[in-house]
Amino acid sequence: MKQAGAVAVRLVDVSRPVTAIDDVREYERVRIYAQREGRMLGFTEVRNHGAALSARRVRQALVDALGVRLILDDPTTKSADALIDSLLEELIGEDHDSAGSSDVKLDPGVSVSIVIATFDRPDDLRNMLVWIREQRTERPVEIVLVDNHPSSGITPAVVAQFPHVVLIQEPRQGLAYARNAGILASTGDIIVMTDDDVRPPQDWLETLIAPLARNDVGAVTGNVLPLELETSAQRIFEIYGGLGRGFERREVDLRWFNKCKWVVPTWILGASANAAFRSSLFRNPTIGLMHEALGPGMPSGVGEDTYLFYRILKAGYTMVYDPNAYVWHRHRTDMEALRAQLYGYSKGHIAYHLTTLLEDRDLRALAYLTLRLPYGQSRRIVKRLKRKSAYPLKLSMVEIGGYLAGPGALWKSRRRVAREGRSIQLSSSTEEGVE
Amino acid sequence: MLGALTRARDWRPFKIVDLDLSSGVAAVSGLEGYAGVFALVWAGGAPLGHVRVPVRGANCSERRIRSAIRVQLEHPLATAALRDRLRTGIRSGQEQAAGPENRAEAGTETPALPSATVAICTRDRPEALDRCLGYIERLRYPVLDVVVVDNAPPDDTVRRLVQEKYPNFRYLCEPQPGLGWARNTALAHSSSEIVAFTDDDCAPDPSWIEALGQAFTEDEQTMAITGLVTPFELETPAQILFERSGGFGRGFDHQSWRLGTTTGRRGAMHLGAGRFGTGANMAFRRSVFSSIGDFDVALGAGTPTEGGEDLDMFFRVLEKGYTLVYEPRAVVRHVHRRDLDGLRRQLEGHGVGLYAYFVRSALMFPNRRRQFLRLALRWFWTRNIRRLLRSFAGSRSFPRDLVWAELKGSLRGCTAYPRARRATSRRNGDLAGRPGVVA
Repeated sequence: MKQAGAVAVRLVDVSRPVTAIDDVREYERVRIYAQREGRMLGFTEVRNHGAALSARRVRQALVDALGVRLILDDPTTKSADALIDSLLEELIGEDHDSAGSSDVKLDPGVSVSIVIATFDRPDDLRNMLVWIREQRTERPVEIVLVDNHPSSGITPAVVAQFPHVVLIQEPRQGLAYARNAGILASTGDIIVMTDDDVRPPQDWLETLIAPLARNDVGAVTGNVLPLELETSAQRIFEIYGGLGRGFERREVDLRWFNKCKWVVPTWILGASANAAFRSSLFRNPTIGLMHEALGPGMPSGVGEDTYLFYRILKAGYTMVYDPNAYVWHRHRTDMEALRAQLYGYSKGHIAYHLTTLLEDRDLRALAYLTLRLPYGQSRRIVKRLKRKSAYPLKLSMVEIGGYLAGPGALWKSRRRVAREGRSIQLSSSTEEGVE
Repeated sequence: MLGALTRARDWRPFKIVDLDLSSGVAAVSGLEGYAGVFALVWAGGAPLGHVRVPVRGANCSERRIRSAIRVQLEHPLATAALRDRLRTGIRSGQEQAAGPENRAEAGTETPALPSATVAICTRDRPEALDRCLGYIERLRYPVLDVVVVDNAPPDDTVRRLVQEKYPNFRYLCEPQPGLGWARNTALAHSSSEIVAFTDDDCAPDPSWIEALGQAFTEDEQTMAITGLVTPFELETPAQILFERSGGFGRGFDHQSWRLGTTTGRRGAMHLGAGRFGTGANMAFRRSVFSSIGDFDVALGAGTPTEGGEDLDMFFRVLEKGYTLVYEPRAVVRHVHRRDLDGLRRQLEGHGVGLYAYFVRSALMFPNRRRQFLRLALRWFWTRNIRRLLRSFAGSRSFPRDLVWAELKGSLRGCTAYPRARRATSRRNGDLAGRPGVVA
């Protein structure tokens, strides 16, 4: 029997006839993700109470949750109102037609390096390497695996089964250290970053890098969906916000960067668990490598990716968030790990803002940290007390603890980086001093 | 919902029409004296919603109806179109071309429908019954068994009517007064997979039983289905008032309810069983009665409880962990009481029946007792007391004497069930072996 409250996760392709979902009798609820011709449309959650979901209920739930998004071809060019009009016309009599959209295709000769950092997770890693091998792509792909704990000797045993994987060792602990080592070792025109605990669908790679066909786009991020919602820790993580960043395509650039009133919320773009970069970005002196005082493995927790995005935007590149380039991620299954993770996120959140303040003299961070953040947190707690949210109060406390510990954690991280040294890009240094 | 229009036009009636978008929208004429058109809009065999179109003169133009549909049903229309597309799958570009053929194809692949019995329980209303049976005759269904249960007849008018005018329908007589008795008689004499009930003051749509049958085949765990009840006519103030007081309609969205089975704490959402539907349009898989028992003969019109046997059955189906479905495609039209006295009696009866059902359930399900008490009090406050208070303030409120009637009914309902129970057990001696109650 499943754990009480387990939620089944299913993917429905609405370009084919939508039929009943029968294999969910062990669950009380079903979360249905909708996809059409490679586009991720969104999701809905249905109570099935241990019964199969009839085709009609699946359709109804999808329509109720997603509405015209189901048929919306290009959200930027066609308004929802126009679509409703054409639907009505169709029902009440008249006819209407829609035009397709055209894209610039990425040249097939462009090479890709996939950088994966791992820290003693052989089973996940083995699965991931298999998923990568099964990607549908014609272009040259290089896999750079960074072992962030070489002294354990666990990872090389796994890599032995995958002959084409380039194994790099980075004994300095920290995800940013590991990713930087991977970036330095990779040779591709595009660098794709991902983690060892995700599961990409077969067309993931091509979808993710496709927007880089445009010259102004410097980096692309994708969505991260929960692979399963079996335990309450996994479900609470989704309530917290999960790793997903929604089903709307987003494009942000320098204008957006300057327009942000409080801070630059680069976290809405996603994370380096699912991102693609032009490799030239890392040789660009105004961007440089990842900031090594940030990120998992450091006391500061997270933030290496959001800070990298910050630098990319500041350098004038456009960033695209494409919800269709999604990966499935297995969230932490126990509450202890979840607490530690949220604590880390909160520390990292502070560390990110302080870094923009220290490195880039971005005064918006100061206002955010002293006014906006405390306000948002207290609103969340009030919402919980009014029972309008299912987010546990205890976790709010964990988060607040994390915020308070943030500055100290960043200080410790920076001291450690000073001790262990920074990675240096060959063509130019990553010194600060960018205006 | 009809309030503003009725007031402005000083109690003029509404003309009820059906508009099927699949066959095109046409103008409505012959509307002398009507305040407006009250249309039930259909698309692809499913009702989408009601549209009210005010009329000036005697006509309602096609354009006017179109724009009313557009404004009032925008969301249901778009939703229906999208659901329809999901049936065949949404492909960009070619969907326009492939649409209609695929849709027709999807419509014809019907699995075998279950055998069905339609039961009409009637008491002393031969004219109403005659009209009802006229509509029953037009039902589309492969094999249909129709039984008319004549409840405590004073003479043989109904028997003659059925045997002479509708020889294909079976006539049954249930001498014990009470709708629960009559319904149980119908069950006892049915051998079909599903049994559908409607009342003698109703007019089912030709597709009614087909929609129920299809809904049962869709999910074998569904044990009970209720359907849409929409007004047959809105010719008198009493009929419009009944629609305003809530009517029988339960919306146009397919819904399904079932209690959680894997979690320890079970919900209590099914206690307020009135929201699932009404006895005028309900159907059951006959096999369900062997596990939850027949209708409670102490509930129902014709007994001191005046109703509630349908609510009790919905509750018991869900309480046992079965699925109950609301299927708006199963449409029954109900002839509301034409005179205010009849309406007053009906609303009072609803109050009695509802509270008799609360009392009955509290007695039979001790673990639910507190929840029923809480619900009964809350309902009493919102439906009876608060509405009564509101009737003193403002002219838009519901007529006070009707609110008052329902309030009286609710109070009377608290003692009705024990009274009905005693009345039944007094007669129980000569009733051994008859289908009775299983708690």
